[in-house]
Amino acid sequence: MYQITRSAALRSLPEFRKYINLACSQRGCIAKQVIGDLQLAVDEACTNIITHGYNGMNPGSIILSLEFTDDWIEVTITDFGLAFEPSPAPAPNLEAGLEDRPTGGFGIFFIYQTMDQIDYTSNLYGNRLTFIKKWNPH
Amino acid sequence: MDINFIEKQYADIVQVSGSVDALTASVLSDYLSLKINQDHTNLVLDLSEVEFMSSAGLRSVLAALKECRNKGGDLLIAGAQPGVEKVLKMSGFTSILKIFPDSENALASFSA
Amino acid sequence: MFKQLQIRKSSDRIEPVPVQLTSGWLEKNSQAPILLSQINNLPENIKKRVYRNLIPSELLARFQIDPVSWKGTGGDLQVQIEAQADSGLVRIKAYSYGAQQDEFFFMEFSDNALGSIDIKELQLSDPESPPFGNGVHQEGYPTFSGSTGRNLEREQRAMEAGLPPGQIWDWLGALKITLNQFEAFLASLGQRAYFFEPHFYSAAWIFEKRGFAYAQGHKLMDDIHAEFQPGGRLYRALDSSSPFRQPDGWCTVRGRAWAIHDGILEAIEAKWEGLRMVKLLGRKAGVETFPDAEF
Repeated sequence: MYQITRSAALRSLPEFRKYINLACSQRGCIAKQVIGDLQLAVDEACTNIITHGYNGMNPGSIILSLEFTDDWIEVTITDFGLAFEPSPAPAPNLEAGLEDRPTGGFGIFFIYQTMDQIDYTSNLYGNRLTFIKKWNPH
Repeated sequence: MDINFIEKQYADIVQVSGSVDALTASVLSDYLSLKINQDHTNLVLDLSEVEFMSSAGLRSVLAALKECRNKGGDLLIAGAQPGVEKVLKMSGFTSILKIFPDSENALASFSA
Repeated sequence: MFKQLQIRKSSDRIEPVPVQLTSGWLEKNSQAPILLSQINNLPENIKKRVYRNLIPSELLARFQIDPVSWKGTGGDLQVQIEAQADSGLVRIKAYSYGAQQDEFFFMEFSDNALGSIDIKELQLSDPESPPFGNGVHQEGYPTFSGSTGRNLEREQRAMEAGLPPGQIWDWLGALKITLNQFEAFLASLGQRAYFFEPHFYSAAWIFEKRGFAYAQGHKLMDDIHAEFQPGGRLYRALDSSSPFRQPDGWCTVRGRAWAIHDGILEAIEAKWEGLRMVKLLGRKAGVETFPDAEF
């Protein structure tokens, strides 16, 4: 298992992306597109935690871990801020003309577009978001 | 993230390198806004050196596009790497924004 | 356009628990967490059996204290426990020779508002080294927390003797043993994590090494590290304006801890408050806000 812990601050975002690249490179044979998808989903999830999870409180830690099997990659993001459930908000209007295009709401949408399975648990010990990404198409 | 500005005849190139995420997107937004307010309303956003863009980056691009068009100009994308292109495609931006393989082609589109 | 997406939402909601622990309740769900207040409402002898799990036998053996009777070689009771009924607080003290100044173990922990457990205080001292306490706290035991007012002379002597502020001193691996034992105890209670508020920077650093992450305060620790680098605001505030702000204090955990205890965080408009550390049972978070540090 690969694990890294950083503060829930924007400056940690590039570190999480770098770590995903490192873990996948060490694991080997993972397509660039899969790595890119993981980086995007993790980045969007962590951005949400950083932006909404610590209103007024001292930002705590975000723990990122990755586990690899022959068929899928499981990514877990643990944090201790306010719960933020990535429920399937209505997809942003992708057909609207320029004036009506929303500028927000894409973060969670991208997570749903790139990951195969999403789990969210929130309890007295913290919040845990898990993604499963298939990477070995048969 | 670094930004370079190259003035050309019919449009200007904004060359971005690095990552455009929630940490850096506001820097790009502010920069583009400044240039647009200085009447640089025809822009080619060269993303060939951008290795990562998240929804925060997308917001910056969209905001700049709206500003350009509101002032009678336009914003074109050049050189999006596969990951960045995927973000643009997933969000449906490719139906309202043109993406060119490189700056030369994008510039040519402005002078046509 | 949308892929076939599976979303499983699960929630570890804790069921509200009755105040009294009965065998009927205990039989129902072996995984539901038990609170300290529930144990504290049990009969004295049952409480003793349960809490005997807390102080590691290995530590007791070093002072020839019997792990079951808690008596020393002289026949005196050398471990004291306070766990009053209708309270979620537990206090455990152990003395090497039965006298207060030979206290080598002090631990206080309690239920918190969310149903998990906080370590409120943990003091592990080496009774072989001279006492450097701030004097006796009004409740009768020595405290180094400075929360009741500072004793600058004693603090300076402690600092010059190479001690950090506070009394978490990992002598002979005592902290590791204690926390391992505590985790085993918490697991038996059905708790999966526990929390700790570090009163000192040195305590936070020690607990990072023990695998704790931050529920709150990670960013503050990162900022402190950045500002103690040469040129930073905390570095520049080490101007010898007090004995605790020596210019070379930036590069050791102890140096920083004393300066922070002395209020140096005012230089970055911050205070040493609001930090809360968390340990997931059996897992180490690998946090290192001050990499390659010299203690």
